[in-house]
Amino acid sequence: MSRHAVRLGGRSIAAIVSTTAIGIVAFGWPLLASPESTAVAHADDAPWLFVVVIPLLLAVVLAQFTDGGMDAKAVALLGVLAAVVAAMRPLGGGTAGLEPIWVILVLGGRALGPGFGFSLGAVALFSSALLTGGVGPWLPFQMLGAAWVGLGAGLLPRATGRAEIVLLAAYGAVAAFAYGLLMNLWFWPFTEGLPAAIAFSPGAPLSENLVAWLHFTIVTSLGYDIPRAVLTVVLIALAGPTILSALRRASRRANFGAVPVFVTEAQ
Amino acid sequence: MIRFDDVSITYDGRTTPVLEHVDLHLREGELVLVVGRTGSGKSSLLQAINGLVPHFTGGTLSGRVLVDGRDTRTHPPRELADVVGVVPQDPASSFVADTVEEELAFGMECLGLPNDVMRRRVEETLDLLGLHELRSRPLLTLSAGQQQRVAIGAVLAAHPRVLVLDEPTSALDPSAAEEILAALQRLVHDLGITVVMAEHRLERVVQYADRIIIVPGDAQPVAIGTPQEMMRLAPIAPPVVELARAAGWHPLPLTVRDARRAAGPLRELLVGQPPPLRAVAPDGAGETLVQATDLSVRYGTRWALRGVSLSVGRGEVVALMGRNGAGKSTLLNAMVGLRTAASGSVMTHDHDPASLKGSELLQSVGLVPQQPGDLLEATSVADECRAADRDASVTPGTTRALLALLAPEILDGVHPRDLSEGQRLLLALAVVLAPRPPLLLLDEPTRGLDYPTKLRLVDALRDLARGGHGILLATHDVELAAEVATRVIVLADGEVVADGPTADVVVASPMFAPQVAKVLAPFPWLTVSDVITTIGPLILRTHAPISGDAVG
Amino acid sequence: MRPPLSVGAVGQPRWLHPGAWWVWALGLATAASRTLNPLLLLVIIGVAAVVVSARRPDAPWARSFAFFVRLGILIIVLRVLVQLVLGAAIGTTTLISLPGIGLPDWMAGVRLGGPVTLESLLMALYDGLRLATIIICIGAANSLASPSRLLKSVPAALYEIGVSVVVALTFAPQLVADVTRVQAARHLRGRATRGPRAIAGAAMPVLEGALERSVTLAAAMDSRGYGRRSDTSARRRRAIAAVLLAGLVAACIGTYGLVAAGSTAALSGLMLLAGMSLSIGAIVWSARTAIRTRYRPDPWWLPEWLVAGSGIAVAVCCIATSWWFPAGMETPFDPPTWPSLPLLATLGLAIALTPAITAPPIPVPFVSAAMRAPDAVEVPA
Repeated sequence: MSRHAVRLGGRSIAAIVSTTAIGIVAFGWPLLASPESTAVAHADDAPWLFVVVIPLLLAVVLAQFTDGGMDAKAVALLGVLAAVVAAMRPLGGGTAGLEPIWVILVLGGRALGPGFGFSLGAVALFSSALLTGGVGPWLPFQMLGAAWVGLGAGLLPRATGRAEIVLLAAYGAVAAFAYGLLMNLWFWPFTEGLPAAIAFSPGAPLSENLVAWLHFTIVTSLGYDIPRAVLTVVLIALAGPTILSALRRASRRANFGAVPVFVTEAQ
Repeated sequence: MIRFDDVSITYDGRTTPVLEHVDLHLREGELVLVVGRTGSGKSSLLQAINGLVPHFTGGTLSGRVLVDGRDTRTHPPRELADVVGVVPQDPASSFVADTVEEELAFGMECLGLPNDVMRRRVEETLDLLGLHELRSRPLLTLSAGQQQRVAIGAVLAAHPRVLVLDEPTSALDPSAAEEILAALQRLVHDLGITVVMAEHRLERVVQYADRIIIVPGDAQPVAIGTPQEMMRLAPIAPPVVELARAAGWHPLPLTVRDARRAAGPLRELLVGQPPPLRAVAPDGAGETLVQATDLSVRYGTRWALRGVSLSVGRGEVVALMGRNGAGKSTLLNAMVGLRTAASGSVMTHDHDPASLKGSELLQSVGLVPQQPGDLLEATSVADECRAADRDASVTPGTTRALLALLAPEILDGVHPRDLSEGQRLLLALAVVLAPRPPLLLLDEPTRGLDYPTKLRLVDALRDLARGGHGILLATHDVELAAEVATRVIVLADGEVVADGPTADVVVASPMFAPQVAKVLAPFPWLTVSDVITTIGPLILRTHAPISGDAVG
Repeated sequence: MRPPLSVGAVGQPRWLHPGAWWVWALGLATAASRTLNPLLLLVIIGVAAVVVSARRPDAPWARSFAFFVRLGILIIVLRVLVQLVLGAAIGTTTLISLPGIGLPDWMAGVRLGGPVTLESLLMALYDGLRLATIIICIGAANSLASPSRLLKSVPAALYEIGVSVVVALTFAPQLVADVTRVQAARHLRGRATRGPRAIAGAAMPVLEGALERSVTLAAAMDSRGYGRRSDTSARRRRAIAAVLLAGLVAACIGTYGLVAAGSTAALSGLMLLAGMSLSIGAIVWSARTAIRTRYRPDPWWLPEWLVAGSGIAVAVCCIATSWWFPAGMETPFDPPTWPSLPLLATLGLAIALTPAITAPPIPVPFVSAAMRAPDAVEVPA
């Protein structure tokens, strides 16, 4: 195993953990929030609050990574792989969720470590939004979702050979599908006013909102989420081994965290 | 300025050092040329100057490297950035910013220079390298020569005392190369910058060098000396030096001018001699393999080719020359059906290449592209060869056998990306040759090749021509053209401006004449071996002048 | 250096600071989020469109405005369709009556079809229009603010990440060119150049090339002084870590306070605010050890103040109107009434129109740095 491209120190881990904790609330508050809570009382504004908070948190995490854990090699590799993702994104053309980018995020996180995976998810989606003029309130949520996908891929247990590909394909399917569900969740609060069966009703009990959210998902995005998951599995199964070995070769060649040795006495 | 004290470098996972006991002392304001084969440790030597070896690459460095008094043991590359500027081999892949101006400023931003200083130095650098009109252009839209100048400017703006360049002219046409070298010359003379430069194309650079370092590889001792000393013994030398060595001229001329002064008696010997015959196909003109008739190709509104008519026959080696952007690549692409003709036609063997598919195409024409790596998709050499056999529908093992002839040292299990540039070219050549296409096209084959690999390529091309292949190669390398071409076609602005036997086309041309032709003009001898076959080595020596000043 | 309020040469073409455009657009979006008055929303869209058409550069990213407008229309259509098919009827003015279909029990509560009332359609229309207007305002920012200039203005702490985004933006179009080149090479081997298999075949060499490039690029960056820092004392590092940790913990507590029962809004909000400020402070503090400077940073002169100010003005006007004269910001749909234009909000919108004049014109001829492909690409293969 090669060394990880982004070294995670205590501070970075703290930043990831708290961002994840806050991110869970940012996505899940419509389901999690207690009926008497402030978020429910201001259900109109709550999503906008998180639109502001999440980018700041992502900024804190990434700045923390770069402050010591990330050398020029990691920054360059990050930029190049983000470009690959950004260039791949229009390939699917948004048709039925056929986005091939998850392969790179999953395999990148796996080959280069959780810290790199996290950064790659965030930076890649940000770059592609800039490239296509797609910056909007959805972007922070997409960045965080993709960052989690990369992070998770880096944290998967050890496996080799065929077992590794099976593991990654399974993870890819779950991640690509879960990403769709999460993206539904963030703008679901804006559906207030839709029929009760699929709309968010602030303050309703979890069971009721959960059912409504699932119905909402079935009605709106399942047709995207399933093809996306299937495509990811197929691509990982077919191209996974090759891409993974290319990434590992690159990582070896980059020699992350190279330790220079100096001998004063000539041998 | 730069001091190597008993330096040895060993990379991780290797048992033998790539460089051993190197002692060098380079003075301020010197232009030093580093010469050596691919894999000889030349790049390691360059990278050790700013501490990339071993800080970036890992590995063990024993001994000490001092640059302007700073020890690379305690100064990683970023701490040397204000003293050493490094221009990598492929400038396009080292750009960080997206426009010329931003790229020039990037290094200074990293060094934390105040804004007014940056502003001033960017302007100075733009002027110094003649980049003024390009200042807000996106880097991707620049030509190779412009990109190279930007890459040099980008490190110069930080005002380093040392400039390290890895093959700065290998991707350039002769005139762009001249421009770069003139700019470097000016930096050395006007600003006293120390320039350390690796280059395979000695004929372009040797006359500019103050000293030459030869890195022989295989842990043999590294040698340094004046160009005269080093060129007298060096295993590889530019044609002008080889001619001088064969003729025994002393002192050794390094430039065409000096050699011409010494060559008077030699030229007298050539009077009345029949000019050397190029090996041409049996009857001088074999069967025509490709015929372009009034061919025009355009990209959008720009016409890349305008009414080009030419042909290549069996047994011919035709060199296609001309500036970057003159339409050479387009012509080659049209011959394999990658470009369709806007008017006129191109026929290979009575077929329009654009109508051929799969192995039919492969069996009539093969093209080795400028970046041979593009052809290679497999993860090992053996797989690549098997895939090539399948593509071409030939007996399994054909490609591997060809490769074994071209480059016996390449092993089966190696990843094609881990091969050196030259080896990659030879592998691509084997892949293309497997279906035995009668017509072989090569686009800039000698880019980045070291001398031994180039010799191998020359031999291979001659063998192929003898075997009845027709070869068309687009190249900037005038020495290569002089060595192998039976005919030269010059393109300019999408039109054929010259087409004829090599000697007829190149001898009178200041741009395309090889060094030997320039020394011996108006006599049409192009290479040292041509001269030797005509008059023999012994006669040459007896007529050598005693001093270089003697003018015949 | 010019004083902060320097006008710059009046009318001299230059790039407005992208931050100013974003403040302006977000101000407009905030104004839109405060109202359900269709007339007001349409005027907001109009304002955005006028300014975009006056100050939009000719670059690929700047063409996204049309896309955002289409997205907005799609949102309205969807919203209305959903109401039509799934919505519960409000009001009494029945327009038509669709045949109703009951859905199985597990979709309890969903009812397809039924009577369609004018009131419920208007409600859906207004609601959809509001979301569409917000989207269009954001689209305006996307096409007015240059992304590469925005990256130049990222705070020092995010410089490294900014560099990797710049690399990504420059390299992505090049990758597309690489794919074309490699596909040409596939043709040379007699392989398919179209279809999924060809894309997959071309992908590997391109990816390998990209990965190789990243190492070269990193070496070049290292050699040019990238990542230089002055030394930090261990004590200072510990202090920064402590502040960061405290900030993150506070932000977490604040966030959970917002969704938990029994905590006050003010306390949780304050906690979140304090937490974010502390963590950002820690990052900014630690970024000060870097010694970088910035070449020709985009200035923030009078035009920037005017543009950003007009955005803030329109937001303030609309918020104030909804505070004091809420009637004008809502248009009752049950029973349907004609919308009116509240004076203060309209004044705000008039101010928001001024950037069409106060923002400096775009430098001509403008070539997009980020996406322009080389003119007349000669595919060398």
